[in-house]
Amino acid sequence: MKPGPTTPPPPLTGLKTLRLMTVGGVIAYRALFNWTRPSIFIGTLLVGPLFQLLFFAYLGRQLQVADDRFYIVGNAVLTATLACVFGGTLAVGNERRYGTLGHVLLSPRSRTVVFLGRALPYAGNGLFIAVVTLGVSSALLGLRIPAAAVPGLLLSMAVGSLACAFFGLTLGALGLRFRDVWVISNVAVALLLLLTGVNVPSGSLPGWMVTVGQFLPITHAAEAARRLAGGSGLSAAAPELGREALVGVGYAILAALLLKIFETESRRTASLDTL
Amino acid sequence: MLALGTLTHVKQMSHSPFEVTIALVVPIVQATLAVYLFRAGQEQHRLIEAAVGAGLMGVWSSVLFGSGGAIQNQRWQGTLEMIMLAPRRPVLVILPITVATGLTGTYSLLATLAWGRILYGIRLEFAHPFAFVVAAVVCIVALGMFGLLLASTFVLMRNANALANTLEYPIWLVSGMLVPITVLPAWTGPIAAVLPTTWGARALREATTGGPVWPAVGVCLGISVLCLVFGSISLTYVERRARAAATLALA
Repeated sequence: MKPGPTTPPPPLTGLKTLRLMTVGGVIAYRALFNWTRPSIFIGTLLVGPLFQLLFFAYLGRQLQVADDRFYIVGNAVLTATLACVFGGTLAVGNERRYGTLGHVLLSPRSRTVVFLGRALPYAGNGLFIAVVTLGVSSALLGLRIPAAAVPGLLLSMAVGSLACAFFGLTLGALGLRFRDVWVISNVAVALLLLLTGVNVPSGSLPGWMVTVGQFLPITHAAEAARRLAGGSGLSAAAPELGREALVGVGYAILAALLLKIFETESRRTASLDTL
Repeated sequence: MLALGTLTHVKQMSHSPFEVTIALVVPIVQATLAVYLFRAGQEQHRLIEAAVGAGLMGVWSSVLFGSGGAIQNQRWQGTLEMIMLAPRRPVLVILPITVATGLTGTYSLLATLAWGRILYGIRLEFAHPFAFVVAAVVCIVALGMFGLLLASTFVLMRNANALANTLEYPIWLVSGMLVPITVLPAWTGPIAAVLPTTWGARALREATTGGPVWPAVGVCLGISVLCLVFGSISLTYVERRARAAATLALA
């Protein structure tokens, strides 16, 4: 059936696009979390990642593979993955699960902008988790971070979280094609533990794993954060931050492309809400 | 009835692509991580411990998420009322589910051992092979009983999922599955001592390396029986309360 004649929506200006991304993203984020209690947030996104960090920090201490700074700073940046990968995945996956995907795709606005906006609150969430985890674990394990490094560390964690959220959105886009996004996101989070070099120094990993890690989020952000925490200035961390930003942009473009392709394919085969 | 119930639930869980994939892939990734970490730390002689530890971590994840959500899952599937209507004590109905989560968790243990042998050439030489098998069986049954306690207490909480998400790494850490308990702060000792996971992990490690296996197996069994008793009492209480308040099918 062909759709009836409709009035085309007015073109989006830059400000309206920004509003669609931010306000739309925040509303979608609240829809996921506003009916739950803070205990879920604290337990899942703050306590769980903290213990993940402690697990690897104590393992690292016992095996004497690297010092505390390596594990604490690296894992603190990595903790953003939980919110960003699962959040980004569910930003698309839950629309399908709750039967609202069709409504979103019927929107006369750019779905690319709508979905890219979904990733922003999760990136903010990931940044918050990383900051809390770094603060608490540093206090617990006695790591001193130079005050001058704090702004750079925040920047590293922000860039890492954003890249990770777009990575999650890319996985979420796959949810339009494949049935079970939970498998994809769970395996992805586990692989990030291994391939980002956060827990095993890259010199101890096989070359191909290091190469794959270069194209994953967090790898460069964690390295930048370690340099900053070690007292190197922002100029020393800038190249790694630039690479992390590139990775993030790459995943944002990939997510937008996949969403476009799978949306078109889902419309063509009428498989939009098929679970 | 317990055996048939367990078999039924193992079959059901084994048909879930999600359960099987997660039980196989995630522990293998963790085992790979452990192998490279142990190699980096010049602890090549302990690679088999790393593989066993990573496998046991997978068993715990399976029990934690499977048993913790056992009752909730039945509720979502719409089968909770039917199984609670069975003319048997609730514990006999729920225990097979929680033991089944431990049994499906053995996929993780087997996968990490096979992975270590095939890819990293880890020689599967156990100091006490027979004791290792016994310890593995006891560990799985014990975790199933611990799972019953989790299932019966988690059902009382609205936010049980959050608690389950929170408990994965702490139990891995405190039980000494990969990190020796000796490197942890002293205050974690009493917590570790009351967890069946600690004694199960110790029994498997001793059977692998050649230490005294049976004391750890005995303590693991003892704690798991306590879990069974407390889980049974809690489950009976929950069932009566849910019947009286007509909230069995409600979250």
